[in-house]
Amino acid sequence: MTTTIEKPTEKVAERAPLLSVAGLTKNYVIGDLVTPVLKGIDFDIYPGEFVAMLGPSGSGKSTLLSILGTLLKPTAGHFFMLGNDLTEADERELTKFRNRNIGFVFQYHHLLPDFTALENVMFPAVASKLMDDVEAEVRATMLLNRVGLGHRLNYRATKLSGGQKQRVALARALMNNPALVLADEPTGNLDRESAHQVMELLAEINAESGTTFLISTHDPEIAKRCQRKITIIDGKVDSIETNPTVKQDLAAA
Amino acid sequence: MRYEAKVALRYLLSSKMQTALLIGGVGVGVLVFCFMSALINGLASYQIEQTVGSIPHITIEPREQTPKVLGGTDGTLILPAILRDNTQRSQIRAWQTVLDTVLADDNVRLAVPVVAGNGFITRGQAVQPVSITGVNPEQLSEVAAIGPAIIKGTTDLDLNGIIIGSRLARNLSIDVGQTLVIRSDRGGQRDVKVRGIFSIGVESLDERVAYMNFKAAKALLNLDNGISRIEIKLKDLDVAPALSASFAVSTGLKVTSWVEKNKRLFDAIQGQGSTGSLIKFFSIVTIIIGVSSALLLTTVRRKSEIGIMRSMGMTKGFINRVFVIQGVLIGLLGAAVGSSGAFAFTTLVMQLAVRADGSRVFPIDPSQGAYVAGIMLATVASTVAAILPARAASRVDPLEAISQ
Repeated sequence: MTTTIEKPTEKVAERAPLLSVAGLTKNYVIGDLVTPVLKGIDFDIYPGEFVAMLGPSGSGKSTLLSILGTLLKPTAGHFFMLGNDLTEADERELTKFRNRNIGFVFQYHHLLPDFTALENVMFPAVASKLMDDVEAEVRATMLLNRVGLGHRLNYRATKLSGGQKQRVALARALMNNPALVLADEPTGNLDRESAHQVMELLAEINAESGTTFLISTHDPEIAKRCQRKITIIDGKVDSIETNPTVKQDLAAA
Repeated sequence: MRYEAKVALRYLLSSKMQTALLIGGVGVGVLVFCFMSALINGLASYQIEQTVGSIPHITIEPREQTPKVLGGTDGTLILPAILRDNTQRSQIRAWQTVLDTVLADDNVRLAVPVVAGNGFITRGQAVQPVSITGVNPEQLSEVAAIGPAIIKGTTDLDLNGIIIGSRLARNLSIDVGQTLVIRSDRGGQRDVKVRGIFSIGVESLDERVAYMNFKAAKALLNLDNGISRIEIKLKDLDVAPALSASFAVSTGLKVTSWVEKNKRLFDAIQGQGSTGSLIKFFSIVTIIIGVSSALLLTTVRRKSEIGIMRSMGMTKGFINRVFVIQGVLIGLLGAAVGSSGAFAFTTLVMQLAVRADGSRVFPIDPSQGAYVAGIMLATVASTVAAILPARAASRVDPLEAISQ
């Protein structure tokens, strides 16, 4: 099989990469059994990009996202984000880095059920004292309005529908204005209509704010909306393709 | 800390039944703690009061004669021996000076000079041995708690009066107002009138003890210049041992505190205290086990939430604090519920558990419930109990929790 590696457009690639992955490997070890999951991954993601990560189940997408989200240590290789070698950082530094620079959207919303939509969104900022209550409330309200939930601010997370919960989760991921949002099958648990709404939102927010998105998905429809597609097969990058139908220089420079 | 407290409170409020049971559990532990304290301390106070109420706190007596050395030149055996001077009665001679010295001390509430000796009471052909105690009439109640024990007559002790026990009265077939002859072992003799008859309930006392006027007894016992002892009552019982040591030095006499004379009572009170402490210890252990197990279950239930908080960049310390604060809140609320419940319960027991004669079934004292200690120990125990679950929660692997 031929590996296709397409660079982003010149305009995008002029900037320094936001995320640089070099020779990343991950082995799971159970007793004497060593299972290689990632076998040397290399790619760059540039600020403002909207990138899909495709691949069959078990190809290593989720493991890769976990490593890039600093929730898992790689076995070997390096990855750099905003100029920091995150493979060298200790847990305390990674926790702080994660809070300030990375937003997560998972397949399941993982909202705190005892908190309202507004409180859930405010959480990453106030609990880490990044913002005071007033500042956080203003921003969280703005984000919830942006995801179309301005009328559900004080609803308990448990009282929201599946699509609404996922939109709250998206607002929460954006709360600390992260440089990168990692989304792992963000529409996997949603009905078609809700999935469409969430996907629209992701694309719009990327276009408006220049937030970089790396979205792991099975859905070819989602992949079509992304500027680039990174396909992972059997723990390796199989191809990186540019999507000619999507505008390439969406992000604010 | 503020946001950790908010999360902790929200967690407690979201599982109202579990939280109520936990607070109730801690409350019961504190209730047992305070109830046991009120009972054990109340019982100790009751026993001390019963004992100390009728005995002197400090007694000053003539010094016992010390052994004198016999012989003692080179090569000879030295034999220490006590040479008793049986011609002299053991007495405190300069007793007024001693009394003044004692009364000058701020801790002393009362000091009563007492004369005591043995004698016989005869009435017709009947002769009964008695132990004579002579005391100033107005101080009689301080030397002997016979006031409430008087079953006939009064406690008025004029120069010719005597108060005797009920068994003695029966043995002599004598009643209040009748005259009898009392003779001391020193040869003195006096006609006295029975003013009162008491019944303490202790056979030996009711049969052998007789109270007389101080001056009359002095003459009868041939103690013109001295007295037998000084009985002292203190404002604060606890200073008795230290004060008796100080009096021993300042007076040069034999000074004994009530503590030395009632060692068995002290051993018994200490034994009760140890049993109470053991029960209290287990009530605290129960709190720790209860709170710890419930919070550990919460960490399992909240695993995915803990995971997402960690993925959002909350530190292990943050998660730790969320659970420790839950422990603190449960402890404080449980302690408040338990201590107020204990006060109400002990007060109720005190009021309701009363015998027909008005005496209490339980010598419980609600004011001695050790509430502050109970509240503090329960709060500390509950906080300590939260440490294990807090550590378990902070060690949750966010990735594993999110993938669940």
